[in-house]
Amino acid sequence: MPQLPQLYPYKPGPIEYIVMPGETVGIWVNKVYEFFKVLYIEGLPRSRPITIDLGAALAAGAATAITQLTLLEMPDLEFGQFRAEVLDDAEVILYQGRADQRHKLHTTVATYNRFQRQEDPDGHMGEFYVYEDNYAFMQAINNTDYALLHARVIFWGFRYVLQELGPPYSWSKQVLPDNWTRVPATAHL
Amino acid sequence: MPSHLIPRGIRKVSPLIAAPVVGAAAVLYQLTANRTVIIRKIMCYSNVGNCNVFIGAGLAGAFAAFMPTLYVVNLFDAEWTEDEIPEIEVAADITVESSIVGCQVMIEVEEIAGV
Repeated sequence: MPQLPQLYPYKPGPIEYIVMPGETVGIWVNKVYEFFKVLYIEGLPRSRPITIDLGAALAAGAATAITQLTLLEMPDLEFGQFRAEVLDDAEVILYQGRADQRHKLHTTVATYNRFQRQEDPDGHMGEFYVYEDNYAFMQAINNTDYALLHARVIFWGFRYVLQELGPPYSWSKQVLPDNWTRVPATAHL
Repeated sequence: MPSHLIPRGIRKVSPLIAAPVVGAAAVLYQLTANRTVIIRKIMCYSNVGNCNVFIGAGLAGAFAAFMPTLYVVNLFDAEWTEDEIPEIEVAADITVESSIVGCQVMIEVEEIAGV
């Protein structure tokens, strides 16, 4: 008997889409979940056009500016699911809003770095989502004792085309769809 | 048969340097503060005569070898891979010196993350 795939955000292993077309998602944006039906899914292969160099010739101990990832911007009524790998020996912090760090604890923030592939070769722990033009931002820090020629980050993932679910569903009124998948597309502050 | 080591860190390489003479040890691999490093491969080549190569830590007069002397035969390439190198983990820049000026040395290391 065929089984339905178990799909969910941050799933360990090679990246999979988090819902099937036709299913409902709730996207966390502006501190509420907004509900949509997924119409279409497309792969975004790990490739040069979705690679960024946050800081060429980054001096020892230096940090780059917090850089807007315009290359990951999604069109209206779309969101992207991304994983990332840092290619150079830099530490990288993810922000969604420019001042809102992701992967954070109470007093500090976890970073992306080159050492992660040993424990997490598929990058599932660093998965993140970009909804429309709610940009992601990254900042690279050179913690080595010498200058780095590059601070590159490469991305891969899936693109989801959405259809608004609209009334009566509303997070603020707590009228929720029967089944839906939570998409943490912005920081939970 | 090569061993299959579980990686503990990331692989990096030193620059290719011409080893200075004994007493003038120079940095071969610059380690980042709070990290440690293990040598995984060593490549040497000499066209200035048979020579001894010393790998350790500390500059110039403060040099202390942390592995046995390597003997490099003139005009032969000399290579040691990770099966042949003791797993010495150090928390300092790796330095090198040689019995003759000019022996070329390069290493590959596994660098372990810091805190």
